[in-house]
Amino acid sequence: MISASDTSKNMIEFKHVFKSYGRGRNILSDITFRVTAGEFVFVAGPSGAGKSTLLKMIGGLEPPSRGSIEVNGQRLDELSARARPYLRRAVGVILQDTHLLYDRSAINNVLLPLAVTGLAPDQARARARAALEKVGLSNKEDMNPIELSGGEQQRLAIARAIVNRPSILIADEPTANLDRETAHRIMSVFRDFNRVGVTTLIASHDEALMADYSSRTFRIDPGKFTDMSGRGAK
Amino acid sequence: MRTLLRQHRYALMVTLKRLLSQPFSSLANLLVIALALSLPLLGASLLVSVQPVARQLSVTPELTVFLKMDAPRGQAEELATKIRKEHGEQTSSVRVMTKDAALKELRTNPAWEQALKVLPGNPLPDAVIVTLTPGDDLADRADKLAKVWHSWSGVDLVQLDSAWVQRLEALLRFARIGLLLLALSVALVVLATVFNTVRMQALSQREEIGVARLVGATESFVRRPFLYLGSITCSLAALIAIGVARLALIPLNDALASLARSYDADFALALPSASMLALAMLAVAALGALSARWSVQRNTRF
Repeated sequence: MISASDTSKNMIEFKHVFKSYGRGRNILSDITFRVTAGEFVFVAGPSGAGKSTLLKMIGGLEPPSRGSIEVNGQRLDELSARARPYLRRAVGVILQDTHLLYDRSAINNVLLPLAVTGLAPDQARARARAALEKVGLSNKEDMNPIELSGGEQQRLAIARAIVNRPSILIADEPTANLDRETAHRIMSVFRDFNRVGVTTLIASHDEALMADYSSRTFRIDPGKFTDMSGRGAK
Repeated sequence: MRTLLRQHRYALMVTLKRLLSQPFSSLANLLVIALALSLPLLGASLLVSVQPVARQLSVTPELTVFLKMDAPRGQAEELATKIRKEHGEQTSSVRVMTKDAALKELRTNPAWEQALKVLPGNPLPDAVIVTLTPGDDLADRADKLAKVWHSWSGVDLVQLDSAWVQRLEALLRFARIGLLLLALSVALVVLATVFNTVRMQALSQREEIGVARLVGATESFVRRPFLYLGSITCSLAALIAIGVARLALIPLNDALASLARSYDADFALALPSASMLALAMLAVAALGALSARWSVQRNTRF
């Protein structure tokens, strides 16, 4: 939960960020924006435009080729390799492929981030159950992810991302391959977390879905970044 | 501190789960390492059993200084006094064996009795029998003293009884070096086996490692289960190796006992002391953890 005074706090700030792989062309060119605490932002654009790369850079999973990125008050290029995992705990990441572990139950998938922080087992179990309840999977905690539907798997990935109570949540195409009703259910889960102050960025190419939610939107087209709200970094 | 302990407990549980999830593979690895470890262990048993016997044999080395046949009566006493005076700190006893006493002693031996009867006189010289103080450099010391005494006037011959001691010491040195080389080879086998086991585990846990990093796991958190895997595998293998060596010593000692009896001796091979075994186990566990650390560092760069 964030207070009214926190809402002006910068959670994510990109300053003239470029990203290219090898000597190839820039996937992202000169991107500058600022996201404050508690904002809900869509990252729109066609497939291959660089939406996933942008989210990965926020999660510290990809370094920029040029420019500076600040997340949760920390400049990523100044962050040591030892400090990077601690930043990741503050950023809940849901990738396009859910990366669920199929050798364990749903609750054990959600328990992994808590094991990483070394939380006491009874507290961890209680918190994992609460996370599953929030995404509507409390009756499926002992099921293997493979037994869950696509939407349920996506919700399980969300539960795993939010169980450590991150201040930022980023999701890459969380509604891809889901039917409209399930997609809206997933979006409402994100909305609920955003309402309690979690800064949320969702990448999607589903224009129709995004139109149903009035939100700040970043549009990424090949080689071009536009903040549709008209707000800049300055 | 509590957090760290919980993370260690988690790593330990993960390790045991992984070991039990592939029982045949885990057992095969354990046996390979255990059999490799049992070889230097048997070698060490041989060495620690033989060493005290060798030491016991070499604590009473004697040098016999024979005087010339024409040496005047009383020169043996003078020589004994000189040895006590100049090399007293290196000798534990010096006694004179006159030619008459030597002949008398020889006559008590029935094998020599007839031969001595046909001789016109006493063919034996006066002699001084010197017992050296024990020590690690005994063979070298005996050699040096023999050279010094041989240069003294009136001395005909210094019989050095330490040649066999030197041979035995050389043999033990050879065995020690051999055992060291064997231990190094086995350490390499252990290193390679653990490295490969951890590599296979790391590859099969690729997805879990990736997710753990995604949710904020430190590299220590990722590595910890593999370090436990290496050290637990090696510790268990060391325990099995001790059991194997103990079992192998039973038939070996049976065979050795009958050989020793024929020499009217009592000798048996025994494992090194419990403290040495515990120390060796710790060293093997550390080696396993080290190898696992190396392997996980190389094989989890994804």
